[in-house]
Amino acid sequence: MSTSNPERGALQHRSALVVGVGGLGCPAALALAEAGVGRLVLADDDRVELSNLHRQILFDASDVGSDKLEAAERALYRLGARPGSIELVRSRLLPENARELVRSVDVVLEGADNFATKFLCADACFLERRAVVHGAAVRWQATVLTVADTGAPCYRCLFEDLPNGDAAPNCAEAGVIGPVVGFAGALMADRALSVLLGEREVFGRIVSYDGKTDRARSVAVGPRATCALCGADRTIDSISYARYTAPSCAA
Amino acid sequence: MATVRIPTPLRTLTGGEDQVQAAGDTVKDVIENLEQNHPGIRERLLDDKGVRRFVNIYVGDEDIRFLDGLATKLKASDEISIVPAIAGG
Repeated sequence: MSTSNPERGALQHRSALVVGVGGLGCPAALALAEAGVGRLVLADDDRVELSNLHRQILFDASDVGSDKLEAAERALYRLGARPGSIELVRSRLLPENARELVRSVDVVLEGADNFATKFLCADACFLERRAVVHGAAVRWQATVLTVADTGAPCYRCLFEDLPNGDAAPNCAEAGVIGPVVGFAGALMADRALSVLLGEREVFGRIVSYDGKTDRARSVAVGPRATCALCGADRTIDSISYARYTAPSCAA
Repeated sequence: MATVRIPTPLRTLTGGEDQVQAAGDTVKDVIENLEQNHPGIRERLLDDKGVRRFVNIYVGDEDIRFLDGLATKLKASDEISIVPAIAGG
């Protein structure tokens, strides 16, 4: 969606958390900042690597080795973010900080590179009743799922729990195509802006994009009755450290 | 014959092909036919409870979980897409 002047005024009073300032988080943060979001919280703990540059569009060669958050902040202000709108959280989303971080904003954009963080974010957002946009991209394929602040249908309705072994690919194993992840990050920002402006029709839909065939599919997700997070007999009512253990990728 | 779109992680089982043809009246039948021609693919899609939790299967633009699951009927012109959960960016 585009933002007009009245919308920019409304966005001045809204806030967003970007979990992971990588290939998804960079274009998403840029779009939110330029749209005029009043408070943009960036959470990451990495440094910029040469292998990031083809898709992490807030960084250039001079940033290699630098703190990602500081480099992103510099770029966002240079490109037009509202003065004072950027907040930096020098940490990954962790069980000990997840609920507090998501509670502090109106919408969460989850662009994590590992399933553990994805499920942690989904759980924290449900427990704190925050809308969340989940994004992912591996090679030519990308998905974006938008979950309502009311909680259902949620990420666990679709994917239940962390995968075992090689059941699902991640970017370290399969690689990432820069323009595909850029598309997904921009779409995440589009969905987040819709949420911030009160448009609820984006909720409960997953977009799948195949960059090789140019196919984008938007599918309504149904709530799963047996979902452990949002189902009638849900079993997840707190953040338990043991529930989130999986490797991440830094490539 | 239905057209089945194969995601990157499963293309090792299809000789690198990103789409293959498979016969069957239902999604389950098509998966069994795929298994005959591309051994190992069934195990990547199904477990003893049905479709693996980290795989979405679409017929056209519809997720089979919201149709009739593996019993979803197919037309010859249908396109089946296999979309695994992914993490990365």
